[in-house]
Amino acid sequence: MMTIEQNFDSKPSLLGTSELLFTGLTLLSIIGLSFGLHSLLVGHHHTFGTTREVPWGILITPYVFFACLSTGLCIISSLGQVFRIEIFQPIIPRTVFLSLATMATGLMCITLELENPWRVGLNALSSPHPASNIWWKTTIYSLFLIFMLFNFLALLVKNEKMARFFAIIAFITVTMGNLNMKSDMALLGERGFWNENYMPLYFLSLSTLCGCAAVILFTWAAKLLKGKPMNRAEELAIQSTGRLFMVLLLAIAYFTGIKVMGGFFPEFTKNPEAMYNLVQGNFFLNFWIGEVGLAVVLPLILIGVAGVQNRTTMAIASISCLVGSFVLFYDLVIVGQLIPHYYQYNVVDLPQYYPYSPSLHEIMITTGAIFFFLAAFIFGEIVLKKMKIKS
Amino acid sequence: MKITNLKNLKNEGTENLPSKERRCFLQLGLSITGVFLGGTILSLTSAHNATGALSGGKILTTKSPYSPHYTMVIREKHCIGCEKCMEACRSTNKVPDDGFRTTVLERSVPVAPDHRERVFMPILCNHCNNAPCVRVCPTRATYKDTVNGIVQMNTDKCIGCKTCMTACPYNARYFDEAIRAVDKCNFCYNSKLKESNGKTTACASACPANVRVFGDLTDPTSHAYKLIHTSGKVFWVLRPELDTLPNVFYVES
Repeated sequence: MMTIEQNFDSKPSLLGTSELLFTGLTLLSIIGLSFGLHSLLVGHHHTFGTTREVPWGILITPYVFFACLSTGLCIISSLGQVFRIEIFQPIIPRTVFLSLATMATGLMCITLELENPWRVGLNALSSPHPASNIWWKTTIYSLFLIFMLFNFLALLVKNEKMARFFAIIAFITVTMGNLNMKSDMALLGERGFWNENYMPLYFLSLSTLCGCAAVILFTWAAKLLKGKPMNRAEELAIQSTGRLFMVLLLAIAYFTGIKVMGGFFPEFTKNPEAMYNLVQGNFFLNFWIGEVGLAVVLPLILIGVAGVQNRTTMAIASISCLVGSFVLFYDLVIVGQLIPHYYQYNVVDLPQYYPYSPSLHEIMITTGAIFFFLAAFIFGEIVLKKMKIKS
Repeated sequence: MKITNLKNLKNEGTENLPSKERRCFLQLGLSITGVFLGGTILSLTSAHNATGALSGGKILTTKSPYSPHYTMVIREKHCIGCEKCMEACRSTNKVPDDGFRTTVLERSVPVAPDHRERVFMPILCNHCNNAPCVRVCPTRATYKDTVNGIVQMNTDKCIGCKTCMTACPYNARYFDEAIRAVDKCNFCYNSKLKESNGKTTACASACPANVRVFGDLTDPTSHAYKLIHTSGKVFWVLRPELDTLPNVFYVES
């Protein structure tokens, strides 16, 4: 299991700046999220770019992105905690905390996306609808957050048995949530964009890919903050994560290839209009630069050239992959909704695609959520250092 | 170690593998299988088959699950696009200015080479028997009335996730800021149907060309019943490929 640092490093470090950084990021987060509170007060109709035809906007993106990222982080932490693979054990505490923080961020985003979030707790319990995948997803992710919190607390008090118990149930829970996501979205009849057979495996691979990228990036960032090098065990853990990252990049490259086929040849997809819009239409820059270039090709080239030993290159590859994946999730949420409902009925004056662009409020909330997560990461590093957990 | 050196090593064989390693390997395999199996089962548990009485373009041959089973038949060729139905609906049901429960689309239908015909197509909630909006609602704010088959809203339960709006293939739902909930056509259930004992809707009574025929699918004397239960009569539903089993039917005349 994890190793506890007996001789806490008391050398001067940059951690003094961590508190400052934490304060700055928290303030930025509050500014961004205050736009969410304003929207709740005046109504989304006045502040969001969503419409009757495109009811889901950019705010669904950070929700899905952070939920999938959390899933991936939980899977990486489970390699050491649940499956007891020794090489991954040095990175358990940070990975568990990041998983907790990302899920909290995701749930916060979806809360601010709802028109009446205060009704969720009461009505989800008093009037549950087990046939609804949305109900399952909210319930599963809320439970996961609780399990992961107990997992982290058990790690802090160094109760390994308890930590592993919660790690196992959190792992099972979040995998269920991830597999449920395809069913959830595929139900949206008209918006059949999600309704591809490969989606469950795609979501799981993508989540694990994002998890690998986050582990590599934030371990590198944590060492930069602390001003001390990685120890050998951590280096080996990151290198193994890097190899897994490489394999998953190839898997996602394969799925991206399927999308390209769907975009050029309608017979390869159930959603030819949406795939055309993604690959050759208005979203082609998002697709080719974001989903292909940043998410897959650039990380593959960087790691291919520099190898998994070069930590800075690995960190750059991870940032590129995470940014590209964010664009990917944005496309996944929006593109399918832009296809007009009655496009096959020769309706006069029907636009080729419904319009949607995020409003200032939506962008500020999304940015606030990202700052919230970064502040949580710094907070986690401070906690891990104060509790003398080696990570 | 170099690959060439590996060749010179003696094969230890699996029989010498420590039992602890075997157990760990088996444990890992079983855990991964269990997780995927569990997740897959859960992702399928919420799937259920709706009891559909009507399928796209098929005549009802089994007993209807609702009584009365409200329906609307649209005599499409009669529509002149005057939009009086929209006005009546708006004033009867207090529909906000930026929303609508029903609207009239104009189609340009190809009927021959280089010849297209303009046709008006009124649309409204199809009160599907297999309604995607009902299925996706996490709090049962949207529900299928078990008595009359109308897709109803309990606005107090609406959390405003707008999943139903995303799921509806007919663009029949809107968010009403005044009540802070999603709203939709309910065949004028609250404004007319409940009081007048199920006779008609605001849009149907306002139509000067008698395009919209509201009725009961379980009543053979109903005009709507007769329109779609006539031998040889062609009728259709919108977007039948989605298998939503709509209760709004279209006939030419």
